Amino acid sequence: MRKQERRAVICLLLAFILFAGVVLFGSRFIRDGGKWASFYGNSQIYTDGRINRGTVSDRNGEVLLECTRDGFFYNDDYETRRATVHAVGDPGGNIASGAINVFKSQLIGYDILNGTYDNSSQGKKIRLTIDAEANVAAYEALGGRTGTVGVYNYKTGEIMCMVSTPTFDPADSLPDADDGEGYYFNNFLDGKITPGSTFKLVTATAVIDNIADRDSYTFDCDGENEYEGTDFTDIRSHGEVSFKSALAQSCNGAFGELTREVGAKTMQEYAEKAGLTEPVDVNGIKTAAGSFDFPEDDNIKLSWAGIGQADDLVNPCAMMVYMGAIANEGEAVQPTLIKSATFLREITGGKSLGRYLEKDTAAELRSMMKNNVVENYGEENFDGIDIYAKSGTAETGGYNPDAWFVGFTDDVDAPYAFVVWVKDGGHGSEVAAPIARSVIRTLEANAESDDM
Amino acid sequence: MESILYRLLNMAETYPEIAKEMTTVMRWFFVVLAAYILLVSIISLLTTRCTPEIWGYFLVENGGNYPITHWENVVGRSRSADINIPLRTISNNHAIINRRDDEKWIIKDLGSHNGTVVNGFKLVPNKRYLISTGDEIVMGGVHCTLAPASVEESRNNEKMRRLDKEPVAPWKILLAITLFQVLTIVQLIIGMGTDITAGALICIVLLSVVMWAYVTFFKAMGSRGFEMEMIAFFISTINLAVTASWNPGNTVKQFVAMMMGLSLMIFMCIYMRELERTRKLKPMLIGLSVILLLLNLALGTVKYGAANWIQIGGLSIQPSEIVKLAFVFVGAGTLEELYQKNSTIMYAAFAFFCLACLAIMGDFGTALIFFATYLIVSFLRSGDLSRMILTFVGAALMGLMILRFKPYIASRFAVWGHVWDFADNEGYQQTRTMSFGAGGGLLGLGAGNGQLKYVGASSTDLVFGFVMEEWGFIIAVLLVLCIITLTIFSVMNIVAGRSTFYTICACSAATMFLVQTILNVFGAVDLFPLTGVTFPFLSTGGTSMLASWAMLAFFKAADMRQSASLAVRKEA
Repeated sequence: MRKQERRAVICLLLAFILFAGVVLFGSRFIRDGGKWASFYGNSQIYTDGRINRGTVSDRNGEVLLECTRDGFFYNDDYETRRATVHAVGDPGGNIASGAINVFKSQLIGYDILNGTYDNSSQGKKIRLTIDAEANVAAYEALGGRTGTVGVYNYKTGEIMCMVSTPTFDPADSLPDADDGEGYYFNNFLDGKITPGSTFKLVTATAVIDNIADRDSYTFDCDGENEYEGTDFTDIRSHGEVSFKSALAQSCNGAFGELTREVGAKTMQEYAEKAGLTEPVDVNGIKTAAGSFDFPEDDNIKLSWAGIGQADDLVNPCAMMVYMGAIANEGEAVQPTLIKSATFLREITGGKSLGRYLEKDTAAELRSMMKNNVVENYGEENFDGIDIYAKSGTAETGGYNPDAWFVGFTDDVDAPYAFVVWVKDGGHGSEVAAPIARSVIRTLEANAESDDM
Repeated sequence: MESILYRLLNMAETYPEIAKEMTTVMRWFFVVLAAYILLVSIISLLTTRCTPEIWGYFLVENGGNYPITHWENVVGRSRSADINIPLRTISNNHAIINRRDDEKWIIKDLGSHNGTVVNGFKLVPNKRYLISTGDEIVMGGVHCTLAPASVEESRNNEKMRRLDKEPVAPWKILLAITLFQVLTIVQLIIGMGTDITAGALICIVLLSVVMWAYVTFFKAMGSRGFEMEMIAFFISTINLAVTASWNPGNTVKQFVAMMMGLSLMIFMCIYMRELERTRKLKPMLIGLSVILLLLNLALGTVKYGAANWIQIGGLSIQPSEIVKLAFVFVGAGTLEELYQKNSTIMYAAFAFFCLACLAIMGDFGTALIFFATYLIVSFLRSGDLSRMILTFVGAALMGLMILRFKPYIASRFAVWGHVWDFADNEGYQQTRTMSFGAGGGLLGLGAGNGQLKYVGASSTDLVFGFVMEEWGFIIAVLLVLCIITLTIFSVMNIVAGRSTFYTICACSAATMFLVQTILNVFGAVDLFPLTGVTFPFLSTGGTSMLASWAMLAFFKAADMRQSASLAVRKEA
C-alpha cells in the first residue's frame, strides 16, 4: 500500500496541471477579459456587428450618437453630424480614432466584476470634451475646404474642438474608403503637414535660448534675400527688421540667417523639445509624429527647414500642445477627449507632459506672439479676444499655399490653445485667422453661459 | 392552470425593470451561496485526517513491533514496503500478508530469494496460505509472528479515531443548495420568460426533493460523510439550469439520467463494501464492455464528427461513457493481483481493445481520457520496468491514433494558441467561449441570459464558457476546484486504505475526471486544442451524466473516515 501511496503523487501532479491551467487562464481573463468581451462576435453587445448600447455626447450633454439594438442614431442636426463625425466615429468603423472605436470598452461598460452585465439597462454614457457648437462653427468656417481646426484648454487638457475636413454624414450612406478623398482621415490626429512659417516659433525659441545679443540683431530684408545663390523670398521687402519684427513680419531672410546661426544640431534639439517629433497620446490614441531634417552640411536646406519648409512635417495636435506649453509658462498639458466625471481636473489641471520651454523663454515668446497680432494681424480683427498667435503660409507645391494660424488666448475662463490649417487656403493670417476667431468666440460664449 | 403559469412566466416581460433589479441582486446571492456550499464541502474533505486503523501487529525477533494498518501489506527490505524489515536475508518484496473480509489472515510468498517458512512448512512461492495469529513465520532466517491487536490497543485506537475531525454536518449545506435551487428557478423565469417549460422547473424541484431524501435516509442508516454528494448535487443543479437555458425540452431527460446515475451509484457503493464479490465483477464487466463497444462499431451513428453514439428507439446513448466505469474496475487490483502478470496483461489487452475501438469511432477526446488513465493506473500498479513497456505500447497506439485522425487533428492543432486569428473559422468555438465567458465577468449575467448557447456544442464541449457567461467566473472556477478536491481526497485516503483495489479505483476515477476536466476547460479556452470532451456532472448529455454519478461510487469507496461513507461497511 505504501508504494501506491507514493506513486499516487502522479495524480496530484495531474491535479496541479489542471490548477495551473486555471490560474493561467484566470490571469489571462483578468488581463484580456475586456478585450475578449468587446470582440465583435459577442452578440450581447453587438447587433449586426455594431455596438448596441451606450451613448456618446458632447461636453454639454448634447447626444451625438446613441447605440441601440435597433442600430446607431446620430444627432438630428446635419451639420453637427458632419462636424463631429471624426470625434465620434462612423458606423463602418473606418475612422480608427473615433470614439466608438477607441472608447469601445467604456461604451460596452465592461468591468471585471459585472462583465458586460448592464446594471443601468440604458448603457454607458461617454461624454466627450468637445463642444458640438464650436465644432459646427469650425466646420462652417472651413467652408468646404480641406483642413482641420483643433482647440484645447491648455490648463485642463480638454480638447474643445476637433474638426477635420473633408467630412461626411455618418447617418447617410458612407463614402467609399478607397476613393482617395480621405473622408475617414482625421487631419488633426493623423495629419503630417508642412508647417510653413508657424515653425518659426520653434526657431525663435532656439534663438531666445542660444543667441544672447538677439535684442541687437538686425537684418536688412530686400525681399529677395539671396544667400549662396538661393533666394529666400518674402512677399515684400521688410527693410531693416529686428528679431521681434522679423517674427511679426515672418521674414524668411532673417529667419534663414538665424537658423544658420543657431545651427543644425540645436534646431533638431529644439524641434524635439517642442514635442513635435513624438506622437501625442490622447486617451490612448497615438497621433502621427512629425519629422524634420536639419542637415549640418547643407546651409540652404537648413535655412529652409528653419522656416518650416524643406522636409518639415508637423502634426496639428502636437503643434497645438506646443502652443499650450508657450501659453502655460512652458509646461505642456496632455490633451484628452474624455470629459472627466470629477471636478478634480478643473482644480488640479490636466496631466503634465513636462516642460517644453523655460519659463523666461515662454514669456519672451509670448510677448513676441502678441506683437505679431498687434503689428501684423491687427488686434481689431479678433473682437477683443486676448490672442497670441503666429500665421503660416506653407508652400506645398499646390496652386495655393496652405494657410496656418496657431496660437492661444489668455483668459482665465477660456485658456485655449489652437491650431488651424486650411489646405490650399492661401495666406495664413487672412484665411486661417478668421476661422480661429469664429471658433474661439463660440467657445467663449458657451463658457460664459456655463458660468451663469 | 396553463394561463396562470403563462402569466407567471410572463412577469419578467411585463415588469422588465423589477426583473432586472432582481437579477442584479440575485447574482450576488448565487456566488455567495455557491462559495459557501462548495468551500465548506471542499474544506471538510481536505481537512480530514485519517488515523489508520490497526488490524494487528507483525513482531520480528530482536527487531520490532510493526503495526499493520492496511488489509494488504507487503513485507520486505524495500523502504516502501508496508512492513519494512531492513535485513539482508529478506528480499525487497518478500511476502504479502492480507486480512480478509472474514478477519482471517493470508500469507503469500512473492518468490523471495530465501523463502518463507510457516510453522516449519516451506511455502510454495505465489501460493496463498491461511495463517493465524501466533503462527511462527520465518523469512530469510528471521523469526516473526502475527499478533492480534490487544483489547487495550483497540480501545486506544478507538479513542484516536474519535479525535479525527468529523465530516461536516450536511443540513446547512442542504439548505443552502435548496435556496440556490429556488433562486435558480426564479432567475430562469426572469431570464427565459415564456421560453422556459414547467417540466424544466419541476426537475429542479424534484432534484431538491431527491437530495433531501437521499441524505435523510442514509444519515439515518449511519453514514456521516455527504460532502461528495453535496458537490455532485450542486453541480447537477447547475447542469439542469444550463440545460434549461440551452434547450428546456431536454431538462427532463437530463434529470432522468441523473436519477439513474444516482441509483447506480448507491448500488455500486453497497456492492463494493465487500471486496471479494467486487473483484469477481471484472470478467463480466470486460465482457459487457466488449459487447457495448462492438455494438457501437456496428451500429454507431456519427454526431459532432465521431461515431460514438448508438441510437436505440428515441434514445441515443454513448457506450464509451459506460465503458469508463468498467475501465476503472479492470484497472484496479488487490495487492496480490498487482504482483500477478496475467492481471497486468489483461488490463493492457483491455486498454488496447478500448483504444482501438475509440480510434475506429474517431472519438479522439475519449481515447485520450482512456489513454491517460491507462498510463497513470499502470504506473500506480507497477511503478517499474513493466510500466515502461506498457507506456511504450501506449505511445505506439497514440501514434497510430494520431495518424488515423490526421487531417481532423492537424487543423485543431494548427489554430491552437492563436484562435483569435481564426475567429470565424477553426477558432470560432473557442473565441466565442472566451468572449461570452469574459462577458459574464465574475458574477455572471444570470441563468437564461447567456448567448453562448447559440453556438454549437455550447452545453457540452464549451460548457465551461456557458457557466462563465451565465454564472460567472467565480462559480466556474469553484466547479473546477471541486474536481481537484476529489482527487486530493482520494490520494489522502490511501494512507488508511483497506485494499489497493479501492485506492486504485479512486485514483483511476480521479484521473478520468481530471483528464476530462483538463480537456474540456483547456480545450474551450485555447490552452489545448479543442477535443470535444464533457465536464463531469456539468455537461449536458444523459450517458455522461449517468456515468459521472456512478463514478462517484469509486470516491465513496475510498472514503476511510470513520462511518462516513455509504460504501464502507460499519464496524460492529
